[in-house]
Order: sequence, then structure tokens, then C-alpha cells
Amino acid sequence: MTEAIGFVRACALAELPAQGTFAVELNGIPLVIIQSDGEIFALQEFCTHEDVSLADGEVYDHTVECWLHGSCFDLRTGKPTGPPASKPLATYPVRVDGDDVYVSVPAS
Amino acid sequence: MLGPRGVPGGRAPGLALQGAVESAAPLSRLHGQGSFDPADFTVPTGREEQWRFTPLRRLRGLHSDLGAGDGKVTVAVDAAPRVAVEAAQHGDPRLGTAYLPSDRVSARAFASFGEATVVTIPSGAEITQPTWITVRGEDAAGPAFGHLLIDVRANASAVVVLEHGGSATYADNVELVVGDGARLTVVSVQDWANDAVHLSHHHAQVGKDATVAHTAVTLGGGVVRLAPSVRYTGPGGDAQLRGMYYADAGQHLEHRLFVDHSAPNCRSRVTYKGALQGDGAHAVWIGDVIIRPEATGTDTYEYNRNLVLTDGTRVDSVPNLEILTGEVVGAGHASASGRLEDQHLFYLMTRGIPFDEARRLVLRGFFGELIAEIEVAELRQRITAAIEGELDRMIEAGPGTVFADAPAEPTGDGHR
Repeated sequence: MTEAIGFVRACALAELPAQGTFAVELNGIPLVIIQSDGEIFALQEFCTHEDVSLADGEVYDHTVECWLHGSCFDLRTGKPTGPPASKPLATYPVRVDGDDVYVSVPAS
Repeated sequence: MLGPRGVPGGRAPGLALQGAVESAAPLSRLHGQGSFDPADFTVPTGREEQWRFTPLRRLRGLHSDLGAGDGKVTVAVDAAPRVAVEAAQHGDPRLGTAYLPSDRVSARAFASFGEATVVTIPSGAEITQPTWITVRGEDAAGPAFGHLLIDVRANASAVVVLEHGGSATYADNVELVVGDGARLTVVSVQDWANDAVHLSHHHAQVGKDATVAHTAVTLGGGVVRLAPSVRYTGPGGDAQLRGMYYADAGQHLEHRLFVDHSAPNCRSRVTYKGALQGDGAHAVWIGDVIIRPEATGTDTYEYNRNLVLTDGTRVDSVPNLEILTGEVVGAGHASASGRLEDQHLFYLMTRGIPFDEARRLVLRGFFGELIAEIEVAELRQRITAAIEGELDRMIEAGPGTVFADAPAEPTGDGHR
């Protein structure tokens, strides 16, 4: 997990689908915010296999699946749970404050 | 602009079919229609076959419409005697006669360049002294566009060195017009600073019995995507496309070759070799050849080798061959990517040569055959030194950078 620095507002809770994704760039880092079963996660946006945006991926069973080649990543750890990806996604701490989602990302 | 040529009406069905077969229109899925108008190409998303290996996010908008072309790139020419150098403006009838942009970035470069450089070698002149063209970027913040035309008239011969350096976000087209019976040797060195982005097309139009020898040497730059292509206008043409690249951590070096055998009895050889080291080093090699129905007697071979020196790198190597006539002399391709062969290193070490030195020797041999073909002695030395410098950097980084979990046998794939 990346060292927690300042939390930056990523999106409003209302913008996040109940079981889905929201792409945002914070401090120059492309992120995907994912809500799954009431929990919210922030991960690097692009699949470690072929640089595909996971904002278009499918969310189920605490994983996000890349739409292009089917790599799955665990939302809690960022680790791949299925090939072809073999490297983990970066994960970032998330805080919900009122109606907004905040993510801790390294300063640019 | 160059749509598939329609079958003229009123012909007998048999003739119409013949007309369709001999059409000069692009046949390939990869090399479809070209245009001088950027608006004829959609903005790539990264999912297109042409763009799927290229990190579009790192192009600083060269592929879309960002930036007005306010970047600073200077072109200086140190011409050999009898070689004419001129600046040309948009609308000059000589520009764009041999080349039609085949993607959005190339079309943008043609539409947006400030001033083109035209280098003319008069017919019959045999010039052995190299003409040195230095392309230097001052600042990578804004995109810059360029155009270069090298016109070698009939039966002339010339050597041109194209040297790229500095920091830039640069897209350009290089037209190489090689007249009947002429011979052109081009060495293009891409040794940019780490933040540079360079997308370039080098297109050679090879006349009857003419020869073009093109060598790409790509060592430096953040993202370098070079697309050398060849088209023949008469029989007997010969194209030798050679290249070497050395990708370090974080570098994306891409070479996309395309040889369009459009005339009978022409020859082409594509030989590219690369080495990769460090996290995120990415090399892409695409070797496309089309042998059109009219190109009987074609002799072509494409060859790519990649040496993967550490963990964390990635190679994509894709040769494609479309053969539309069976009457060829030869048509083949080969691609393989793998590690240094353990047995080679072991053999050298049994002779008392230390591991690092053994690796250096094998790598020197790997690139040596290509370096030896470069006709400019000064460049040979500099490129040899640059490649050894790259290897030294890896050795300095320590043994930890070399395959943490190396398999017992060297890996390799591809086919021959």
C-alpha cells in the first residue's frame, strides 16, 4: 500500500455505482474507484497486463475483471487472481467523508 | 484519398476482374487507406491493430489534437559537396509525391510542419562523403512537426546520416526518393533524451534497379516509434532495412517495418536486433510484407531477434507476410526473443573470462554484424561505444537486476 499522505477528493458517493467503477486522475495518477458490496476501493486504473482501463471492467466477488483479456484483480490487495496479468495493481487508502470519497495519493 | 480503385464500367467481366487484381490500392488490413488530411483518421484509442502496442497516454497528444506545433526542433544539414539543400514550404510540388501518410500522427505532421528540408543529389553523382542531418529538440513541452525529402536522382549514389537528439515531442515524415539505378544509404540514429517522444515515418520509393540501405539505430528516448516503409516503382529494386535498438528501464522503442512489393523481381531484407534491460523496458517490432500479384520474382526475408537481459522487460515481435502470387524466389520471416544463452556464457567462463566480460562479448557479437554494415566509420565507433555503455550501466546496477528466478534453460519462442 502506498504511504498515506494527504487525502484528495476523488468523487461524490452518488457518482459511484453500487457495484461498479469510476475513473479519476488525482495528482497525475490515473485511478479507478470501485464500489463492491458497500465497500469502496481505489486502485491504479490500468491493467498491469496490457494497459487497458479497468474502469470498463466488471466488478464481482471483490474482484475487478479486465474486459479485454479477463485478468482479475483482488480489490483489497490489488493482486491478480487470474491470468494473464501477473503483477499487482497499486492500491490506495480510501476515506468516505460525508457524501464524498477521498483517496490518499502521493503528491505529484 | 487513395480509395480502392473502382472497376471501370463497360468492361467485359473478365477484364474487370483483371483490373481489380492489378489495382494499386492497399490490400492489407494493416495498411489500409492513406490520406494527407488528419481528419480522415479517427483519433486512436489504443485498441487498433496499428496502435495497440503504443502507450498513447505518453504521446503528449501527438495522436489527438493537443498542441499547436509550437515545440522547438531544429534541423541542421552538413551537406557533402554537390548535394543541394533547400528549405521548402507547404504546397511545394516535390513534397508528398512519394509518400502518403498512413496514420493520424503522420498526416498531422504533414499538415503542420513549419518548413520542410529538401536534400537533392544530382543524377549520376557518386558521393561517398556522408551528408549529416542533425535534428535537435530544445524542449519537449509542445509538439513539433517536421518533413524531410531526400531526392536521389537517377544513377546517383549518396550516404545520409540522420541524427536525432535532445528533448522533443516530435512527429515527422522522411521521404526517400531513390531514382532509377540510384543507391541511397541512410543511417538514422535516435538518441534522444529520456523525456523525448518521437513518432516518425521513413518511406523509401525505390526506382528501377535502385538500392536503398536503411539502418535505424534507436538507443535513447522515452517513446520512439519509427516506421520505415518501402515501395518499388520498377523491377530490380533492392531494399535492405536494418536496425538495432537497446531499450532501458521505462523506454518504449517501436519499429514498424512495411515492405510493399509492388513490382516484379525486387528484393528486400529486413534485419532488426534489439536488447532490453530494466523494469518497463518495452520493444516492439512489426515486420509487414505484402507481395502483390504483379510482384513475381520477389525475394524477401524479415528477421528479428531480441535479447532479454533482465526481468521486467517486454518484447512484442510480430512479422506478417501477405503473399498474393506463388511465383516468388523466396519469402520468409523469423522472430525469436530470449535470454543470453547460458551455455555460451559458460563456455567463455571455462576459458577464464569473467561473467560480465563474457556477457559483453556475446552482446558485442550479437550487434556486431549489424554495426559492421554501417558505411560511416565514425558512426560505427560511436554506436559500439554507446551499446557497451548501456551494458555497463546494467552491470553497475548489480547482479540483482539479472533474472531473479532464472530458468535452467534459456527461453525462446518464435518460429523460423
